Amino acid sequence: MELLALGDTGYGDELLFGAWLTIKLALYGFLLALIFGLALAVFSLKGKGPRWWLFRAYASVFTGVPSLLIIFLFYFGGAEIVRGLLSPFGISVKLDVSPFAAGVAALALVYAAYLGDLIRGAILNVPKGQFEACEALSVPRRHLWFRIILPQALRLALPGLVNTWIVLLKDTALVSLAGLNDLIAQAKIAAGSTKEPFMFFTAALVFFVLISSLTLPLVRQIALRLERGQRRAGV
Amino acid sequence: MQFDFALAYDNMPALLSGAWMTLLVTFTVMAIGGPLGLLVSFARMSRHRGLALFGAAYVAICRGAPSLILLYLIYNGLAQLDLVREGWLWLLFQHAFFCVVVAFSLNHSGYVVEIMRGGMEAVPAGLIEAAAALGLSPRQVLWKVKLPMAIRYGMKAYQTESLIFMKSTAAVSAVTLTDLTAAANEIFYLTYDPFTPILTAGFIYWVINNAMRFGFEWLDRRLNRHLTLA
Repeated sequence: MELLALGDTGYGDELLFGAWLTIKLALYGFLLALIFGLALAVFSLKGKGPRWWLFRAYASVFTGVPSLLIIFLFYFGGAEIVRGLLSPFGISVKLDVSPFAAGVAALALVYAAYLGDLIRGAILNVPKGQFEACEALSVPRRHLWFRIILPQALRLALPGLVNTWIVLLKDTALVSLAGLNDLIAQAKIAAGSTKEPFMFFTAALVFFVLISSLTLPLVRQIALRLERGQRRAGV
Repeated sequence: MQFDFALAYDNMPALLSGAWMTLLVTFTVMAIGGPLGLLVSFARMSRHRGLALFGAAYVAICRGAPSLILLYLIYNGLAQLDLVREGWLWLLFQHAFFCVVVAFSLNHSGYVVEIMRGGMEAVPAGLIEAAAALGLSPRQVLWKVKLPMAIRYGMKAYQTESLIFMKSTAAVSAVTLTDLTAAANEIFYLTYDPFTPILTAGFIYWVINNAMRFGFEWLDRRLNRHLTLA
């Protein structure tokens, strides 16, 4: 057990540092995916026009390919992709893509595809009367989305959002394969130098199971808050 | 940023043999994890407190942990235990493929448990009562009514999980198995072309993904062919 101690004598602080990096990676990735997914949902909202097909193509690519492959693509080729995207504007940059940046970008793009679909479905399930009432009351567009439609869509999307968050959290483990010193990589280093792999990998496993299970009570709080305007059938 | 068709063509055999490994892992795990998950779902739904607790813990661990950690735990971690290293178990656990199948089966079955539980609970009570009223024994009700219905209800969720799981097998390269991702990586390290091998592998994954999706959709139609459209 003293191997898990903090400081120079154990690997506790290294593991905590790695865990913090894992959490940061998951949070950044999820927030970006949420923003981008929301944009995709609103972009492809109306009918089955060209915008919808564009979104379908995007989603098909990013949900049809393992996230690990996308992480590798951005890690190995990210610098060249950015250079290629910026060169038409006459901007030339020299940059190195860190594993963290590649991980955040890959997770954000992959999960934006899943979240876009989810949020789109949720917005379409908000009763149409809400849109019509806004129009009748000439509510400004900004308020229409942020005060009226999205809060209701969020309630509908919440269970799916939670599932996606947990899947994304577990997918962060893959970024260690691109060389990020996250929890898994730290556990692997510690396991290698102490010859105690069983203990360190169990510690990493406990961390993930704990975070996943801690999410549920938190979500219940959020769900209660989002449902405060709903009438419940008395049983 | 360019795609080198000649390089992709030259390396096709290596990539395809990697794809074969991906498929082998996927279908072996589905063949083992499916029945295993069904078995544990009975424990999860059991009236016996201990069994139900075991089922809940099994789901929390197998579903809550990334498959990469389960993989490391089994491939690197178990080797540390004398019980495993010195007994006959070592004959099995020394093989990366065996460890991969065990780790991913645990992960996959964790999802199957919850899908089956959801499906079983969705079977209408009236259907079960009707079966009982017709004189079917509890065992017959389970095998001829509840399970077939639960499988139909759970098919969509199982499709989603299977497709996600197929893509997550990309992590097996971490324990020396050469699957499609590992094959693409090897080509990258030989040529330093960051796009061609990964995009080609991505395309093969995309084809596998959609082929599996069509397979599931066909199965879904076939299982529900008694439902005619109104």
